[in-house]
Amino acid sequence: MQEEQLIAGLRAKDRKTTEYLYDKYSRALYAVISRIIFDKDIAEEVFHDSFVKITRKIEHYDESKGRLYTWMANICRNSAIDKLRSKEISQSGKTNTIDDFVYGMESQSGTQEHIDGIGVRELMTDLNDDQKFIVEYIYFKGYTHSEVSEEFGIPLGTVKSRVRAAIQVLKKNVARI
Amino acid sequence: MDIQSYISSGKLELFLLGELTEREREEVLSLAKMHPEIQQELDELEQTMFAFDNMSGAAPSQEVKEKIFSTLENDFILKEMPKPTAVPAGSKVVPINSPWKPFAIAASIAAIVASGAAFYYAGKYQERDEQFTALLQDQSVMADNLNQVKQEYEQKDSQLDKMIAGDFKRVEMRGEGFEMQKDAKVDVFWDQNAQEVFIAVNKLNELSEEFDYQLWAIGDDGPIGIGLVKSEEKLTLQQMEAVAQAGAFAITIEPKGGSKAPTLEKLVVLGEVT
Repeated sequence: MQEEQLIAGLRAKDRKTTEYLYDKYSRALYAVISRIIFDKDIAEEVFHDSFVKITRKIEHYDESKGRLYTWMANICRNSAIDKLRSKEISQSGKTNTIDDFVYGMESQSGTQEHIDGIGVRELMTDLNDDQKFIVEYIYFKGYTHSEVSEEFGIPLGTVKSRVRAAIQVLKKNVARI
Repeated sequence: MDIQSYISSGKLELFLLGELTEREREEVLSLAKMHPEIQQELDELEQTMFAFDNMSGAAPSQEVKEKIFSTLENDFILKEMPKPTAVPAGSKVVPINSPWKPFAIAASIAAIVASGAAFYYAGKYQERDEQFTALLQDQSVMADNLNQVKQEYEQKDSQLDKMIAGDFKRVEMRGEGFEMQKDAKVDVFWDQNAQEVFIAVNKLNELSEEFDYQLWAIGDDGPIGIGLVKSEEKLTLQQMEAVAQAGAFAITIEPKGGSKAPTLEKLVVLGEVT
């Protein structure tokens, strides 16, 4: 389905189109949330609310301001960050790191998860320590680049170029796997 | 402008992560429209981010899928209509003649009244639900607006800090004596120590789509382009590129995106550093 068709179907509140959207994007969007929120129940709750919000706010989505996936991923990321910082969820003693995430996935039962866990590890290969740090804070801890800059005293320009370098490595790994 | 260095600045990645201010977003979008290389890079980065997300996590559970679709149930306008249960044609209506008849009639009436009430309240509920959803949407639009205002405020605040803390010299650039616009007036604020340059447009005509105003710092090495001027933003500070040494500042009209060297016939304003 073309992106325009998909958007038109969502705006028409068509069930089939919504199902298509779910099948194609739920895994990626849930990943955006679940790597920031460790607790599976809370992550699923945030995912439920985000997906409902996406289908209901589709009128406000403006194609000229960016692609659909970016818009949806940002809704999920922001909801996850909001939840993480709200009082409801205390992550005391729980530091979200890539390793925790991989370990969490591998320790779940079922082969599917097992394969996914290995996927994360493979996707992270070839990142140097600086890049790994950036991916960890931005993708797994929900920091913004300016927060990373402030908190760790890294100049903004350096954070930006590390984000770029890290995503370039991920791009190569994504193509390879 | 140097497209490659723009692409490698990391700005596009931050655009996709939703971390740019409204103004920076507009800048990325308009540059992407002008330069297909930037659009292509954006598309590739988005695909990478999607692929990374898609490969790095487990699917959400079947329960959450069912929950989502049951929440959305009332939103689907085109959902399948339940088929009415038709009375088969030709069936005979048998008159009821039994002592239970009055009770049966009473029960039927009660059932009809109850269903009527149920439909009525279901309708009311639906209406309230829609109103509630509309309110939620309004609220989130307002929150977005507030956020935008906040970002703008923070930007202004940091500009103000710079203006107060820095050692800014004001250079008035005027259009008198030039052909383009006699009453043009733009001020440059230059902190020579920090090398920072801001400008504030006072009077400057709007340009057509295919042109831009470009600011030049004229120093010992001749004029150096230090950024495009947004003529529509009157009396706000626009930060330009850094300048260490200059004897004068000037603005010319250049083809969209700016030029390497100024088009002197289209000099609009000039101001000398005193």
